Amino acid sequence: MTQPTKTLLERRYSMLGLLLIAPTVLVFCAVIVYPLVSAVYLSLFKIFTPTLEGSWVGLDNYRTLLAKGEFWTSLRNNLIWTVGTLSLQILFGVGMALVLHQNIWFRSLARSLILFPYFISTVVAVLVWKWLFNDLYGILNHLMMSAGLIAWPIDYLGSMPNAMISVILVGAWKYFPFVVIAVLARLQTIPEQLYEAARIDGAGPIARFFDVTLPQLRDVLVVIIMLRAIWDFKEFDLIFLLTGGGPVTSTQTLPLLVYKEAFALNQMGMASAYAVIMMLIMLVFMIVYIRRTRQEGS
Amino acid sequence: MKNQSQFGQSISRRGALKGLAATTAMASLPTSVLAQDTTIRWWSPQGAPAQVDAYMAQIAAFEAANPGVKVVFETTSDEGYAPQLAAAFSSGEVPDIVTHLPSFAIQSYYANGLVEPFNDVIEAIGADDYYDGANDVFKAADGNYVGTGIGNSAANMLWLRTDLMEEAGIAEAPRTWDELRAACQAMQKNGIFGAPLPYGRNSMTTLIFVGVIHQAGGQVFDTDLNVALDNQATRDALEFYASMRELCPPGATNYSWGEAITAFVSGATATGIYTGRVLGNVNAQNPPIADSVTCVRYPTKSEDIPAWTFNDFPSVFIPKQSRNIETAKAFAASLFNPDGYIQQLHAAPGHVLPVLKSINENPQYQANEIIQKYPEEVELMSQAAAGGFNLGYESAAHPSNEKAGEVVGSGAIADMVQRVVLNGENVDQVIGETTKTIEDIMAG
Amino acid sequence: MLKKIVFNLFAWSIVLMVAFPLFWMLVTSVKPQFELFSRPPTILPQNFTLEHYWKLLSDTNFLGYFWNSVILSTTTTIVVVAIATVGSYSLVRFRYRGRETLAFLVLFTYLLPSVVLILPLYLMLVNLGLSNTITSLVIAYTTFALPYALWLLRSFMAGIPEDLESAALVDGASRLGAFWDVILPQLLPGIISTALFTFILSWNEYLYALVLVNSDDARPLTTGVMNMLISSFNIEWSLLMAASVMMSVPLIIAFAFLQSYLTRGFGAGGVKG
Repeated sequence: MTQPTKTLLERRYSMLGLLLIAPTVLVFCAVIVYPLVSAVYLSLFKIFTPTLEGSWVGLDNYRTLLAKGEFWTSLRNNLIWTVGTLSLQILFGVGMALVLHQNIWFRSLARSLILFPYFISTVVAVLVWKWLFNDLYGILNHLMMSAGLIAWPIDYLGSMPNAMISVILVGAWKYFPFVVIAVLARLQTIPEQLYEAARIDGAGPIARFFDVTLPQLRDVLVVIIMLRAIWDFKEFDLIFLLTGGGPVTSTQTLPLLVYKEAFALNQMGMASAYAVIMMLIMLVFMIVYIRRTRQEGS
Repeated sequence: MKNQSQFGQSISRRGALKGLAATTAMASLPTSVLAQDTTIRWWSPQGAPAQVDAYMAQIAAFEAANPGVKVVFETTSDEGYAPQLAAAFSSGEVPDIVTHLPSFAIQSYYANGLVEPFNDVIEAIGADDYYDGANDVFKAADGNYVGTGIGNSAANMLWLRTDLMEEAGIAEAPRTWDELRAACQAMQKNGIFGAPLPYGRNSMTTLIFVGVIHQAGGQVFDTDLNVALDNQATRDALEFYASMRELCPPGATNYSWGEAITAFVSGATATGIYTGRVLGNVNAQNPPIADSVTCVRYPTKSEDIPAWTFNDFPSVFIPKQSRNIETAKAFAASLFNPDGYIQQLHAAPGHVLPVLKSINENPQYQANEIIQKYPEEVELMSQAAAGGFNLGYESAAHPSNEKAGEVVGSGAIADMVQRVVLNGENVDQVIGETTKTIEDIMAG
Repeated sequence: MLKKIVFNLFAWSIVLMVAFPLFWMLVTSVKPQFELFSRPPTILPQNFTLEHYWKLLSDTNFLGYFWNSVILSTTTTIVVVAIATVGSYSLVRFRYRGRETLAFLVLFTYLLPSVVLILPLYLMLVNLGLSNTITSLVIAYTTFALPYALWLLRSFMAGIPEDLESAALVDGASRLGAFWDVILPQLLPGIISTALFTFILSWNEYLYALVLVNSDDARPLTTGVMNMLISSFNIEWSLLMAASVMMSVPLIIAFAFLQSYLTRGFGAGGVKG
């Protein structure tokens, strides 16, 4: 952009542009880049968390963690959780958006109720679900027992595979409204003519969905999937408060492992190494994902 | 930790990341100017409303006696104190006094130079007034005391419902595991479960199971602090714990202290495992069963194995980085003044038991409704707790274990329970791997 | 016609299933503690009581935490949206070196898990003399709120036709004048929508609040409620549910009114990448 023909006005505009972006850059450096660089740096030390005293160990932390079974099980759990909850969010979110796009009774009340899980705090969501799941007084067990589905209360959070399924379901319940919001917004902008054209061609409702709606939703879905995948991958609060990673390490994902290393085992260096690896994994996924969707798009 | 160097220094030595070095170096310096008025910050994870009221009274008394001093009480939590203190220590913004943390947590902090020796405060309170050996658990390797007990607690009492026992035709409180199992089986009916043992991935499971290992005649560490899990006692303990699973509510796989006490108090289980807080809660929340509640020490594998009580030794300590150490020490000593201390103990009668002989004999302490209603139970708990141990201090012959806090925090022992009991994994392999995990932590 | 009724019933039964936890939370919060322990559980409360709400308001610091949360979330939202608005304007409408890299970095900062940033961030805040204050949380919350806000607003900004701005410039307006008079009004739905998302994120945050703040003067609702009501000595479900209701109701009311902005705003250009 540094052509000699650049006018005075253009140069002044660039200055203004830089000025406007300055606060952002400043904040990014202070609250994100600095801690990030520290994290990478800390990962090369063996550090006792409360004192931050430590000794240089170079890449030892990385060697240890890659050799540790716990890293790989946590990574596996992390992937199961992310893929599981994300696909439910997308499926249910798109389905619900289609329903709410129709002219149903009390549509705006229905929309508010559907959006509700997304608004409430993770803390609240966890409390409510723990109460629903309660083994002795929980309504879910009671309803299922009186319906004759089960003879004995189910242990939703303390045994496998129940715990993982429960965590995935609660995650899907909490975050699918995000998908609803985005998809609903996009649905409203699809021109009616497209559907009419399809109808004239004799397409039924299902064919119309696949031929008209889905292609129109493609862009929005690409973005939502990426955003939600990142968020779900690094989700901490929900899993930590719901199961704490248990039983054993069956629902322990990488962020929980980082937390455990840093604050329960007081190994800040090791924790940072886990975190750095976690970021690298996400980065690789993201780059691959962006590449592929770009290719398919063009 | 060999080759230890201040983190900040090692950075500046390398000349990289000067900004980071500056901030961490600054972190160790006091950042506020010493003011005329001192404010003392007091942290505790024991924040039940009645307890907080008692703390406030103690604060008011101290502030009245020391003009210009202000004490601020802040609650932390059992699961939250580790990260909060880590952040506080690393930044230098520490509380001036911390109470009710288990003794082994302080040992770990002291070993890393974060805690002020407490010897003079113990003298000020009156070393002779403590029960014999009450401060042994707070003795560090260098001979100093790292803190003192603010109370005793008997964490693994077996709580019983005499009405249900009668119904089931059980004449005496169980003394051995077999009797306990039989009693639970007999009482498990009509939607009532036998016991609320914790099988969760949390510190309660760890602490309770350490007790079970001892009740089998075993120990986690030997007296040289080598891991001593790989033996018959641990296998017996796991077998017993697994056999109790079907006598516990399905959700016991996630139980921690709160769920365990609620299960017994609400009447959902016939036996309970908790401290004396049960007494207050039963009277407040489920009065109909209040007259048929009693407790004994938790059964052991056989009668020749003595009972083993888990006492987490709720403590008081002062972080070294405190900028008001002298005031904090004075305040710590004032916490043991009879009036305030008794009120604090009465806030959860039977839960936190006095560490001072003079308090236990004080008529004012005995003049509490709950303590008078259950004199035998309270006396039993006092004795059990005074002779109790924990993972940082498994017996009088054990040296204090500086890594016990990390061992509990790692959840290695709770994991062992879950893998064997819930997943049915091979016992030998699990014990071997747990031994390895704990050894790694010890080598740290 | 029949088809329509069946469809409506189907739609509403799903909606009610999704909203059931909300209903159950409400019902539990007005049952006395002993009724919770009755088996089988009662569906509708047999003894209606508001004692838990009363206890929460009079005996606990709930209102204090609530107020902290309001200040915290509002401040975070204002700061983040202000920075992100000018930032996105610059990223979309100006040409300078490093612009593309910056845009990519924004996306990259998403990837950072909070657990990693927390200790270095805390050290920094202490050195600024901000530990244990609401300000420290505002700063911490920008770490996750700003990248998202910037990214959202950038796509909104891209959706505004460039001609509008050019026309204003031709009419003699300055660049900032055009921004104020032309861009901002066009961007309003985007700003509202971004503000809502930011508000939700900061209202609900837990981990930073847990580690960075340990004083009741600055503690927000999430950690305040957990600290106050979930403890090793007792779990009072009805009190917890009452607290949950009170934590959520203000949000639900606000969003019921702004809901159309949320959806409309998001569609206008929100997710074009």
